[in-house]
Amino acid sequence: MAYEVNLEHRSAKVELLNRVGNKVLLDIDGHKYDVDIAMVEKGVYSILYNGHSYNVELIEGDSSKKYIVNTFAKTFNVEIVDAESKYISSRSQGMAAEEENQVVSPMPGKVVKIPVKAGEEVTAGQTLIVVEAMKMQSEFKASHDKKVLEILVKEGDTVNAHQLMMKLE
Amino acid sequence: MIKKVLVANRGEIAVRVMRSCREMGIRSVAVFSDADRNSMHVRYADEAYNIGPAPSRESYLNIEAIIQAAKISGADAVHPGYGFLSENAAFATRCQDEGIIFVGPDPYAITTMGDKIIARQTMIAAGVPVVPGTTEKINDEQKALEIVNEIGLPVMIKASAGGGGKGMRLVKHIDELGSSFRRAKSEAMNAFGNDAVYIEKYIESPHHIEFQILADSLGNVVHLFERECSIQRRHQKVIEETPSPLMNPELRREMGETAVQAARAVNYKGAGTIEFIVSDDLKYYFLEMNTRLQVEHPVTERVVGVDLVKEQINIANGNPLPFRQEDLRQSGHSVQCRIYAEDPDNNFMPNPGLISHITEPHGLGLRCDGYVYEGYEIPIHYDPMITKLISWGETRTEAIARMKRALYEYKITGVKTNIKFLEKIMDTNDFKDGKYNTHFIEKNEAALHASRLCGTECEDMAIMAAFVDFLTKMERIQPPRYTDELGSNWKDFGRKRNVLRL
Repeated sequence: MAYEVNLEHRSAKVELLNRVGNKVLLDIDGHKYDVDIAMVEKGVYSILYNGHSYNVELIEGDSSKKYIVNTFAKTFNVEIVDAESKYISSRSQGMAAEEENQVVSPMPGKVVKIPVKAGEEVTAGQTLIVVEAMKMQSEFKASHDKKVLEILVKEGDTVNAHQLMMKLE
Repeated sequence: MIKKVLVANRGEIAVRVMRSCREMGIRSVAVFSDADRNSMHVRYADEAYNIGPAPSRESYLNIEAIIQAAKISGADAVHPGYGFLSENAAFATRCQDEGIIFVGPDPYAITTMGDKIIARQTMIAAGVPVVPGTTEKINDEQKALEIVNEIGLPVMIKASAGGGGKGMRLVKHIDELGSSFRRAKSEAMNAFGNDAVYIEKYIESPHHIEFQILADSLGNVVHLFERECSIQRRHQKVIEETPSPLMNPELRREMGETAVQAARAVNYKGAGTIEFIVSDDLKYYFLEMNTRLQVEHPVTERVVGVDLVKEQINIANGNPLPFRQEDLRQSGHSVQCRIYAEDPDNNFMPNPGLISHITEPHGLGLRCDGYVYEGYEIPIHYDPMITKLISWGETRTEAIARMKRALYEYKITGVKTNIKFLEKIMDTNDFKDGKYNTHFIEKNEAALHASRLCGTECEDMAIMAAFVDFLTKMERIQPPRYTDELGSNWKDFGRKRNVLRL
């Protein structure tokens, strides 16, 4: 069965043709790869291909299908798209617009200030929330003129990475 | 004789201090906040005491709690490390009052050097060159204007209580003077609770070069040469090296003597650092003195061959320095990179979190001073620095090549780090040629943020690893029904390949 694998903006068609132990035969966008691939340490893959040795590190994202992948040169967001994810994405058209209406903390930290209130009209560039981590404060600003719908955290709260903090209209 | 040292700090520096204690047969005592129960310094120490909640104000800056821990443990000395209480005269005084040795200078030296205006006055009196400017606190804009007319633009307005780049304003045009002056004052008030500011001439294309000094309680003072610290981002040092590529033997001797003079002016005792600002035409000026161990002290240790923490403890014991100035030499070259948990692609936003995997570099000529380990969660409350990598080589070229090798070997997953950013610095011509000043990162911005080339094959490797990992996970969830079918896989493979050839 062929899968779609999204790497940043590239969408690749990937099919497993054969797998015996570490020996894997794969087709990626029509190119056949006959490789020896082994997880040598937790989250670290060693790939031998055509005599070359590659090291790739994986960090699992917020679902089992999402990864942050480090190669020597670059870091990528990679997502495996299977039937289930296709179904979900077909049902949630307009996700992008929704993301714009959410304020999500990109890192763990502590909420130090929320200068707005629920129901308040805010203008583009206005500070919505200030999160502090490792002695540095980051301000999250409104991208457009919006209305604050709901604030899900309060000052002094600790937040996790990717935690939803505020909903906008 | 000191037999037990309480280290009033955390992270890599706490571990580093305890290492020297262990070598000297001195027992070490750790203190920790609620967020640091699992931290390395607690595991490394012989004894450990909780001193309060996670925020620094309530733990690592809580003088009362630390003194209590020292008393309970029976520590006869306190080593403050850097940051936190290391330059706090009240803490040093309190230790003295309790009969505990403070591993550092007397409160007098801390107070004098801690106030930039008093430090400037003291240095001028001692014949140490300072950046042209005022020696008094400036109260009104009229006075500020007079000063600027006298010394000429551009100028820097600085907070007397300042440090770390806070409360500093650069003025290039005369019409900015009023607003910058008012802003610097209010920033200083907010950050330090003291709105005293002064004005000094702004040195164009400055180099930050500092001198390590050691002074014993018998009046012997030596310097351990320079450290070049011009690679900075937002006034925070990123890479340090010694010897400085800018230095020549004559200037080194002269600046070293000046540094010793500066230390003598405050009856200094212990390890300290005199920071200078050096212009392109090699004129140098006193900037400030750090009355503690520096983050970048290992490059000096490596090149001069002196354990600075051991010497600090020797001095605190009242012993004379075991060497004279003429015994000290610089051998080879050393570079230090600070590894931060931050995201260079996202405006260097701090990135605390769980270390899921770590491989530290090893091998000839390398030192790795860190404190994180696999499964450790970096807390959100403290500094984002996780490791210092220090390389040494016979020549500068070798030390840089070795650092590149070390950065290549350093693997850490779970948190984002500036490792790739550091690798790019090593690759810039300005750095390789040793021709840089504090504007280096601004000047090389494009090269430092350019993404490296990852061709189709490299991308495919990323896809492959993620895909294989995903399939393996799926298999674990749904184990294959026919496990004895393995034998026919090669047949399938052959069939498939034949089909694909068509």
